[in-house]
Amino acid sequence: MPDERDYPEVQPAQPMPPQHSGEIYDDLQFEVKESLGDRLMNWIAGLPWWAIILAVVAVAALYSMFTSAAYRDVLRALTDNPQVTTEDLFEVVQIVGEPTMIVGRYVGESQDSVSTVITSLLDDVIDSELVQRAGFLVREDPATITIQTESGRVTIPRQRITAMDPPDAGLGDNVSVEYIERVTVTGTLTARDDKTLTIRTVNEQIETFDTDRILSEETTTTPEGEELVRIEREGLSYRGRLTALSQTGISLVQEDETRVELRRADVAFLAIPTLTVALNAAAAERTIGPDDEVRIGFVQGTDITRALQELDSLDGIPVPLRYGAGAARAALISYADLAAMMGAVAAGELDAALYLSGAEDRLAMAEWVENNPDAAVVLPTPPRECQRNCTVTVKLRDDVVEGRVLERTADTISIQTVAPEFVVIDRDQILENRRTEPGACALNNLRGCNAGIFLTLRVTFMAYGLALIIGLFFGLMRVQKNPILYAFSTLYVEVVRGIPLLVILLYAGFVVSPWLRDNTPLKLSDEWEAVLGLSFGYGAFIAEIFRAGIQSISRGQMEAARSLGMSYPQAMRYVVLPQAVRVVLPPLGNDFIAMLKDSALISVLALPDLLQLGRLYISRTFRAFEGYNTVALLYLLMTLFLSLLVRVIERRTRLPG
Amino acid sequence: MTPQTSTNSTPIIQIQNVHKRFHTLRGTVHALRGVSLDVQPGEVVVIIGPSGSGKSTLLRCINRLETTDSGRIIVDNIPLTGAKNINKVRAEVGMVFQSFNLFPDKTALENITLAQRVVRKRRKAEAEARAHDLLAKVGIPDKADAYPGQLSGGQQQRVAIARALAMDPKIMLFDEPTSALDPEMIKEVLDVMLALAREGMTMVVVSHEMGFARAAADRAVFMDEGLIIEEGEPDVLFSNPTHERTKLFLSKIL
Ligand SMILES: Nc1ncnc2c1ncn2[C@@H]1O[C@H](COP(=O)(O)OP(=O)(O)OP(=O)(O)O)[C@@H](O)[C@H]1O
Ligand SMILES: [Mg+2]
Repeated sequence: MPDERDYPEVQPAQPMPPQHSGEIYDDLQFEVKESLGDRLMNWIAGLPWWAIILAVVAVAALYSMFTSAAYRDVLRALTDNPQVTTEDLFEVVQIVGEPTMIVGRYVGESQDSVSTVITSLLDDVIDSELVQRAGFLVREDPATITIQTESGRVTIPRQRITAMDPPDAGLGDNVSVEYIERVTVTGTLTARDDKTLTIRTVNEQIETFDTDRILSEETTTTPEGEELVRIEREGLSYRGRLTALSQTGISLVQEDETRVELRRADVAFLAIPTLTVALNAAAAERTIGPDDEVRIGFVQGTDITRALQELDSLDGIPVPLRYGAGAARAALISYADLAAMMGAVAAGELDAALYLSGAEDRLAMAEWVENNPDAAVVLPTPPRECQRNCTVTVKLRDDVVEGRVLERTADTISIQTVAPEFVVIDRDQILENRRTEPGACALNNLRGCNAGIFLTLRVTFMAYGLALIIGLFFGLMRVQKNPILYAFSTLYVEVVRGIPLLVILLYAGFVVSPWLRDNTPLKLSDEWEAVLGLSFGYGAFIAEIFRAGIQSISRGQMEAARSLGMSYPQAMRYVVLPQAVRVVLPPLGNDFIAMLKDSALISVLALPDLLQLGRLYISRTFRAFEGYNTVALLYLLMTLFLSLLVRVIERRTRLPG
Repeated sequence: MTPQTSTNSTPIIQIQNVHKRFHTLRGTVHALRGVSLDVQPGEVVVIIGPSGSGKSTLLRCINRLETTDSGRIIVDNIPLTGAKNINKVRAEVGMVFQSFNLFPDKTALENITLAQRVVRKRRKAEAEARAHDLLAKVGIPDKADAYPGQLSGGQQQRVAIARALAMDPKIMLFDEPTSALDPEMIKEVLDVMLALAREGMTMVVVSHEMGFARAAADRAVFMDEGLIIEEGEPDVLFSNPTHERTKLFLSKIL
């Protein structure tokens, strides 16, 4: 009896009835001293099998995930790229009525320049609704003007006026005034309190780059005393295998397997191997026979294998040398430089010369031919750039960054090129909350986590809750004597149980939801389609569980309750169902686990659930092994945790006696 | 016991020519074939009869756990046939079952307070006070927090009696309350029933405990094949039965 050994002082005062396992060890209780290692081993041996599996899996998973960059990548992708904390609580669009409530901007305009603020904000992200009024100017004071219009008097704060015609109107004049009535503030809610909302209307932009790219740097000080830098920096260089080349873009794979897509417009310099073929004029005319030797020259250092491959790939270009039947022998001869080689071609020492060049000298051979019009050398084709698979070097144009220096380390510098802008609005000035959507996914903003494991969990919980309601409802109908209720519920159960869940989900998404959209004002989101489909499909199974649970409670219970004067619903509610729930908890738990797994089917409704994100990740990176491992592991961890929970609940609800 | 059959008091239970058939897949069972029985307020009636004679069915008809095919049952001046306030009648008629039928997920106390609170709408403290009184009355004041699974059969049946009594019924129906009990527990249950009879509770008891019938009952009724064959004072019926079937039955059980 380990309990008594650990806590000798809580032994009951009255003598315990003899217990078979306890008796033998009672005398030994102070002699048995286990070492810590023994205790640990005993404890582990005493664990049920599922706890051991859970622990091993969890340890392995966490170990591999924290040590492997690939797993960390998948994990991040599957959990909606969470941050630890975020300021981006919501994405909002707020309509506010009084522009004066815009009390300030991050950049710090003062109170009396609010109209300037508004006018300038108009140009960025804050949209305003302008209203035009025409009438007689009847009153003027420093803060407002009052106009007598056809429909009555309007008093307009001067701050809100954006245009007035004529601008210097006096009392009694006929004027036309344009002013701001409503302002739309669009941005990210970053802080809120009882009275105000702080909305970031312009996102900060930061550029971080290596200091050795700096070409020149000058610092200016703004009138507010802020230091701004202007840095001219060298364009980035990339070197890698060319994968695509078009009029507008270049894509290449660098040595570390990262793919780079560049716009041609940004490119300052592009080094693509170019192949030029020159022929001796006489050789071009000659037909080469089987026993002839073709002498081909190249410049020392040229990757000749590559050059010959390129030559092979010159489709649609006339064969530089005319062959007769059979293969000729080729002699490859190297030359120290281009001029020597071209001289040899002109002199007839070479039949042909190949020139594979980089960027600067790509036209060198063509130029040589142009400069030596008398030499007996011809170019059968123009110089030809490599189209793919050769190694290219790309350098982007130099550019200029301007902004505030945030951080300068030995190698890198961070510059805030765009400062964030904030607008603080009073809650009571808000006329309409046009949109509020959860912001970024982070631990302090979990409602912003929408994809991957979060979606899977949320859909499963919502669908299961709904399925419980549906199941209880139909389960109760299944035990009724009323033939209509019984027949209806039986029909539901039998029909739904006989259709694959996938088909039910497709019905929900592509039949029911479009029908509702066309015929009712209901517009179901993808997520609700999934929830409805899952819960409708599982409701049938849960109804059967409830029916069996209710029927497992002996009829005597219902009769005893009825004989005490309870109505049928009361007897159900207070006597039968509480007992039935105990009976059905384990199968209900199993169904919950099954539903969690079946929720993987909702990806057919284009929902980014755990499986779908995994598949996206895999199609992006081709890392199927890591991807599916992580997906499977996350499902497994969730289901193991749930079955543990089911067991605990089962144990807790066991009746005494 | 003095039978309270004063001429001006109407019977609290009137059963008039009741028929009951059960339709099952294997055929129709005619469980009651025209039973008539009146029970006066305060009277204790013991029903005996062979297995399958319809004793339980008759009892269950009295509180409408079974419906009747024909005939009339009037309980406390309320005709049961088509009675809408059937729950009201049931609350006046307590029933004790052979198999106790305690609610296994509730303690003895909760078993006794549940219907008080749900049906009688008593407040918690009031219901619990009543429950403790009744537990003391049936002799197990210290078992309030025990679950049915932790009680002996006799204790369970006494909780069931307390549960029925908590509704303050005018009539108590007992369907073989001791036949599922070990012999040493029978007495403790019968003692409770005897005390109840002495207090003047109207009781209809299906039981073959002759000792209890002699001590407590005003009248014994013998049923066979869905009919009341013979009735009379217990002593008279048991020692001098007039019908052959009664004689045969009594010779078997005595
Ligand atoms: N719910 C039912 N469905 C079908 N037949 C029933 C039902 N209840 C009782 N019966 C039948 O009605 C007849 C009378 O049954 P009842 O239970 O009233 O007998 P009893 O006198 O109480 O017998 P016992 O002493 O065995 O309890 C029996 O033949 C029984 O099989
Ligand atoms: Mg019976």
